[in-house]
Amino acid sequence: MATVTLKGIKKVYDNKVTAVHDFDLEIADKEFIVLVGPSGCGKSTTLRMVAGLEDISAGDLYIGDRRVNDVEPKDRDIAMVFQSYALYPHMTVYDNMAFALKLRKMPKDEIDRRVKEAAAILDITQYLDRKPKALSGGQRQRVAIGRAIVREPQVFLMDEPLSNLDAKLRNQMRAEIIKLRQRIDTTFIYVTHDQTEAMTLGDRIVIMKDGFIQQIGTPQEVFDEPTNMFVAGFIGTPQMNFFDGKVVKKGDGYELHTHGAVMELTKAAQEKLKAQNITEKDVTVGIRPEHVHLAEASKATLGAKVDVSEMMGSEIYLHVDADGKDVVLRIPSTELPSEWRAGIPYGTQIAFTFPPELLHLFDPETEKNILL
Amino acid sequence: MNNLNHGVHHTTPYKVISVIILLVMAFLFLFPLYWIVTGSFKTMKEINSTTPAWWPSEWVLTNYEKLFSRRSAPLFSIPIPFTDEVVTGPTVPAAIRWLINTVWMAVASMVLTCITATMAGYSLAKKRFVGRGLVFTLIVCAMALPKQVILIPLIREMNALKLYDKMGAVIFPIVGWPFGVFLMKQFSEGIPGEMLEAARIDGASEAKTFLRIVVPLVKPGVGALAIFTFINSWNDYFMQLIMLSSTSNLTISLGIAQLQAELSTDYGLIMAGAALAAVPILTVFIIFQKYFTQGITMGAVKG
Repeated sequence: MATVTLKGIKKVYDNKVTAVHDFDLEIADKEFIVLVGPSGCGKSTTLRMVAGLEDISAGDLYIGDRRVNDVEPKDRDIAMVFQSYALYPHMTVYDNMAFALKLRKMPKDEIDRRVKEAAAILDITQYLDRKPKALSGGQRQRVAIGRAIVREPQVFLMDEPLSNLDAKLRNQMRAEIIKLRQRIDTTFIYVTHDQTEAMTLGDRIVIMKDGFIQQIGTPQEVFDEPTNMFVAGFIGTPQMNFFDGKVVKKGDGYELHTHGAVMELTKAAQEKLKAQNITEKDVTVGIRPEHVHLAEASKATLGAKVDVSEMMGSEIYLHVDADGKDVVLRIPSTELPSEWRAGIPYGTQIAFTFPPELLHLFDPETEKNILL
Repeated sequence: MNNLNHGVHHTTPYKVISVIILLVMAFLFLFPLYWIVTGSFKTMKEINSTTPAWWPSEWVLTNYEKLFSRRSAPLFSIPIPFTDEVVTGPTVPAAIRWLINTVWMAVASMVLTCITATMAGYSLAKKRFVGRGLVFTLIVCAMALPKQVILIPLIREMNALKLYDKMGAVIFPIVGWPFGVFLMKQFSEGIPGEMLEAARIDGASEAKTFLRIVVPLVKPGVGALAIFTFINSWNDYFMQLIMLSSTSNLTISLGIAQLQAELSTDYGLIMAGAALAAVPILTVFIIFQKYFTQGITMGAVKG
């Protein structure tokens, strides 16, 4: 049980490529932190630096109050679960889990107790005598987690642990990890490229891109208040829609003009714009597919032509072409007129709008959210 | 689907032809062995007869008697370190000593090669260090060098080390076998990096990781290397011929050659010696056969 503090952590490979830039993060005791981002964003490198598998080029890493930059992985009191499970193929499940404890010269009965306890938690007791080869992917993953649990580490590191599993098993294991977390209650750092995993597992999410932290926040925060267009687009499926638009000062308030539609902004948004002394500004408007809804054509709606409609069961994903721009609408099937339940024919003209309180405005140059 | 099943369950011309070819090849390779073994029990007259006797009409042991009586040597001679004294065993037929010498030479080369090659191969495959590429390039180049090229320097080296006409002179040159390092490097490449990292996090030292994780994982490679080295060492007549000279230090193949030189036409004696020399290597081959084939097909079947 420990806090983990990363202060200005940096990773430079061969004096050339910088994989991680000035990474600052304070992880509270027993917090579940998820590092998420596209491949090559530096999330795994960061985790591996915490594990001690990569040297830290600059900055300080603390586990608890101890600076561990130069401490061997085995002495950092961490355990790690790898994407490929990395089980020792020549050892039985029991020996795989007991290996670290044996190396620490722990008494046999204590080892036995811990292994059996972890096996019971993970429901792999019946496989203890088997070799990893004789296990399915999901079972192997459990063993890999078990191998980490028995160590009773201060910090639990997981590097894309579910990526090698099929979709169904991944959902199942995700739920298991949530349960596991409640049982073993320690600090977790979890790396994934899957935003669903990040949203469902993390107390806080760190979104990374090109070695830079884009945003740190609770799942709700990063979803509701993305700091920039990257975060806005990365979190949430289908992706957030972006339109070109313009905010114009009119009288005491502001109006948003986008693709022919004119909308009034919320009071809060107007205050923010006023504070920035904006009179007229090009913006990128962001709106999530689930926040767009069909409407009668009016001044505040955008017109569009249906390209594809995907029936997902409870809802429909509608891909439309609005003035040359691809837009996705996510509409609950119960809100659709009965003739459209089975799908909306190609070419149908529709009009849609979105509530001003749910839209996001970004600076097209810096891509930063100007309403925060 | 039908076609596939057809191939699996029924005899096809392809299968018949392959079996025939295999039988012919097996016969070609086994016949000399058969000829030597049966020949070693034939009488001199039968061996030298112009019409070949396919099966000994009379089984005699005279060839083996000759082999064991012709020369004699101490059973063993162990030099005491840091003195000039040597502890010698009882005098026995030289053939027995030669066999002991040969087995000792092959086993020692095998064990030492396996140890050094596994360590070198693992570090070349999995460790990052300055000059790694250069070292590996040199090893690959050394593989291409014919033995004859390094012969003179090797003899001088062995002389300088006071190993000339000692078993060490035929053991150590084998131990530096570049192919062994190459083979073990290829095997070690297959060890997932994450597994070694897992061991590191689990708290295994470098030595423990090597012994408890790496060695078990490359065991098929070690098995293949063991048998390759054993055979290589056993068959390295050229090096033995150059490095060994005194009767009690000969290997079995050298010994037979010497006997042959003395009695140029006694094929019975030579066959007895050859049959005797074949026993250990056949034993090793049969025991390690599985690894042998694995070693040959290495890379072809991964997983």
